[in-house]
Amino acid sequence: MTSTPRALFALVLALTLAGCGGNLGGGSGDAAAFPDGDPITVYVGQDPGGSTDLIARALAEQVSHDLGVAVVVENKPGANGALAARELAGKKPDGHTLMIFNGSLAYITPLAVAAGQAPDLADYDIVTGISQDDYVLVTTATSGLKTVDDLEDLGRTVTFGTTGVGTGSQLSQELLFAQAGIDATAVPFDGGSPTLTAVLGGQVDVGSIQLGEAVEQIEAGRLTPIVTFAQERVSYLPRTPTAIEAGYDVPVQQSRAVFAPKGTPSSVIGSLEKAFGSAFEAGTYRAFNRDNQLTPNEVDGKTLRTQWTQSLDTYRAVTREHRIDLGGEQ
Amino acid sequence: MDIGPVIDGFGVVLEPANLLYCLIGVVIGMLVGVLPGLGPAATIAILLPVTFEIEAVGAVIMLAGIFYGAQYGGTITSVLLKLPGEASSVVTVFDGHALARQGRAGTALGIAAVGSFVGGTVSVVAMSVLAPVVAGFALDFGPPEYTALALLGILLVSTVAGGGRLKALIAACLGLLLAVVGRDAFTGGERFTFGSLDLADGLDFVPIAMGLFGLGEILHSLEQRHRAVHAPVAVHDVWPSRADLRQSSGAIGRGSVLGFVLGILPGGGAVMASLAAYALEKRRSPHPERFGQGAVEGVAAPETANNAAATSSFIPLLTLGIPANATMAVIFGALLVQGVAPGPQLVEENPELFWGVVNSMYVGNVLLLIMSIPLVGLFVRVLRVRPAVLAPITVLITLVGAYTVNNSTFDIALVVAFGALGYLMKKLGLEPGPLVLAFVLGTLLEDSLRRSLLLFGGDPTGFVTRPISGVLLAAFVVVALLPLARGRRREPVDQVR
Amino acid sequence: MSPAPPEPEAFPETETETETETAGPLTNLLLAGTVVVLGAGTVAGALSLGVGSASRPAPGSWPFLIGCALVVLGLAQAVTGRATDDAERFVPTSGLVAAGLVSMLGFAAVIGTIGFELPSLALMAFWLRVLGHETWRSTAVISLGTVLALYLLFVAALAVPIPHLF
Repeated sequence: MTSTPRALFALVLALTLAGCGGNLGGGSGDAAAFPDGDPITVYVGQDPGGSTDLIARALAEQVSHDLGVAVVVENKPGANGALAARELAGKKPDGHTLMIFNGSLAYITPLAVAAGQAPDLADYDIVTGISQDDYVLVTTATSGLKTVDDLEDLGRTVTFGTTGVGTGSQLSQELLFAQAGIDATAVPFDGGSPTLTAVLGGQVDVGSIQLGEAVEQIEAGRLTPIVTFAQERVSYLPRTPTAIEAGYDVPVQQSRAVFAPKGTPSSVIGSLEKAFGSAFEAGTYRAFNRDNQLTPNEVDGKTLRTQWTQSLDTYRAVTREHRIDLGGEQ
Repeated sequence: MDIGPVIDGFGVVLEPANLLYCLIGVVIGMLVGVLPGLGPAATIAILLPVTFEIEAVGAVIMLAGIFYGAQYGGTITSVLLKLPGEASSVVTVFDGHALARQGRAGTALGIAAVGSFVGGTVSVVAMSVLAPVVAGFALDFGPPEYTALALLGILLVSTVAGGGRLKALIAACLGLLLAVVGRDAFTGGERFTFGSLDLADGLDFVPIAMGLFGLGEILHSLEQRHRAVHAPVAVHDVWPSRADLRQSSGAIGRGSVLGFVLGILPGGGAVMASLAAYALEKRRSPHPERFGQGAVEGVAAPETANNAAATSSFIPLLTLGIPANATMAVIFGALLVQGVAPGPQLVEENPELFWGVVNSMYVGNVLLLIMSIPLVGLFVRVLRVRPAVLAPITVLITLVGAYTVNNSTFDIALVVAFGALGYLMKKLGLEPGPLVLAFVLGTLLEDSLRRSLLLFGGDPTGFVTRPISGVLLAAFVVVALLPLARGRRREPVDQVR
Repeated sequence: MSPAPPEPEAFPETETETETETAGPLTNLLLAGTVVVLGAGTVAGALSLGVGSASRPAPGSWPFLIGCALVVLGLAQAVTGRATDDAERFVPTSGLVAAGLVSMLGFAAVIGTIGFELPSLALMAFWLRVLGHETWRSTAVISLGTVLALYLLFVAALAVPIPHLF
């Protein structure tokens, strides 16, 4: 070896030894001192700009203030969040890697894809619930349709747009039409925006989309809300009945929660819960919820697990009962 | 139309703070466009926290600048390194890189700059005047119309490929096949994913394009290097000549209109626009064989069209509150965080924001043009670097860039796999252009076709009875038959050598 | 020579290129054969997904069409391709291509565990020194410079979450 490569080798060796921690090893395991100055990474299983992403970023801001460390949002889109969930499961359970988990991934996706392609709640610890996002059945204002009965009176097959296979949008409408005995064809689109566009343009009769995406159009008078799929009347649409009020048992909501890898020490979970709790109280976050028509669901991990497990069981039962095929193998 | 708010909008833009944001956005955008893999959507997401501190108008001005700045940055790597960063830059590769290999990279980049400027500006003017009218038009575009459009696109793909027809068709079919991989959008069933969760959402355009074009080219040149002395290509010019500009003027004009119209359509505007503009020029030209060998119109047309389309894609967001593509979705999110809800009432409730953003695009386009004058000379120097040094740097940037698409190492493996495929294809005389374009259009075609059939209840006559799709299908037939009619007329010319 | 008046004089390429040897008819058959096999496999996969009908397409309908098209095109290529000369033969230097590929795969494999800095240095060094015959000094300078620039850009400036050691 000549002298230059030897020097190079020494330099690289020195750098390697000098490099400590970085982004690979994670912080010390001392739970009592959590977060111990190390940053926290929050996975989001969706593309940037969507509701889940915005919620994550709003919370990351606040939590970062509270814990005094950087809280970074990392988008890892794919398979409705299943890819991000898989990565989360492989991370050290020290509270430095979290995920904003979508409810639909937990209680609808398993009904729509093959076994093993959707995560199992039992493999994760849950820190806290965040909020709920309701679905609303809408139609273009010029269609003249106002109630579910109007749809029945159409006398022909109703076409309904969904935001994709295995989504709350599909589930809510399939259940509604099955119970109402209305002959309907699902037309899946790729997300909320194309579905909204199709409904606005009258390409499909109705569509079920998340409230935050539809509310501007409703207020502008371009969309007519028919029913919402919440448990109780949604405060943002006081004049729109719920499907339940209209006589159909179809409670379907999107929900979000903070997940951690299984085995995270309870003291760490406790610190995180407190931090998120303060975040929920912050004025800017509350305003964020209002601006995006989100309903808080700030329950503790245990309650949330019960909520979501119940939802999964309920949906499994009703889809079987009405012979609804959400797609894939079940 | 009430001129008052429009003038006020200019007042907003010319505030020093907003001018600065515009400049920052456009510069970042250009840099981001140059980096393969990292797209404007991801960049905007990264910068979101920064925008919380800025006022809404300034934030959107900056983010908009990033978006159309990135279109121009993508051109740079297409021309110099044969590496398209976005789907809308693929078509630029054909003639842009050919020009670079002839030592005329400056011409290519310069024409692209001029075309982009004109296309963007025409689009903004049209937007200012026509936005509400045109937004309604976008809503009339349903699945049947998209089907017809996609059919037209696939037809055009076979036109633009140089070289053997048969091999171009094979490449296109491979592209269609790759588009099928993933979950079926209608039943949720996996297709050709072999159980892999990473493939469940299908393949992304970026790793495929970067692998086939960039890495494939580099791997191939490894083979050549020892058998020829490769002097770096001497650069003959840094700006297009007056003759070049004159020659491209028609292409630029037509590209602007085409780009504006197609950009309004949610989901797919810019790619179709660049493809259609290129194909139009090639078909109109009395010497179509020049295309693919370094025809300036071959760069002017797609570049003008994709910038025009990028600008008009703001229309659905600003007038309807519906984001037309991934970048618009992030900008939508940024606005929501600022407490501005984009929707049909944005123009009335927030005219300074609406017009401030629209008018900032004039400024942004001017800034890009001014900046490109010295920068073209700089970028062109990249070609003077020894290939032995340029190659590994490009490889590394490509591999790291692949990671940034989805923050996943799987995409790195994908880009390498496609690099191998790109090398093999080059050896076998298959061109990557048709494959990549068919890949992009294939999903649109199949999904739109199946949606249309669901809407029609299985009855295909609906395609013809709906006015817009009927017109488009007629255009499809005309365009398909055109070469047959012209072929007989053009034979004598083709034989002149 | 060229009869196109408005076109500016074409600049000649300044790279010296030796001719690439064209591949023989065997290569053409291999290509055609691969396409046909791929098409057949696609058709088989499509059939298992269900082909449906023209008015009620199933997940397998579209792949079925693509597969058929590939088979037809492959056969056409086998028949007509013998006369073309746009394919190239493999040469001894093709081994370099394999080496380049292996280096990239190696990079992809280890980056998740040890971060991107070290594999990047290794990759750069390999390509510059081994494949590119650069001197040790320029190899070192360029490698370190590039990796440092990438680090500053992606990790420090953009905060892209690429796995990194430092």
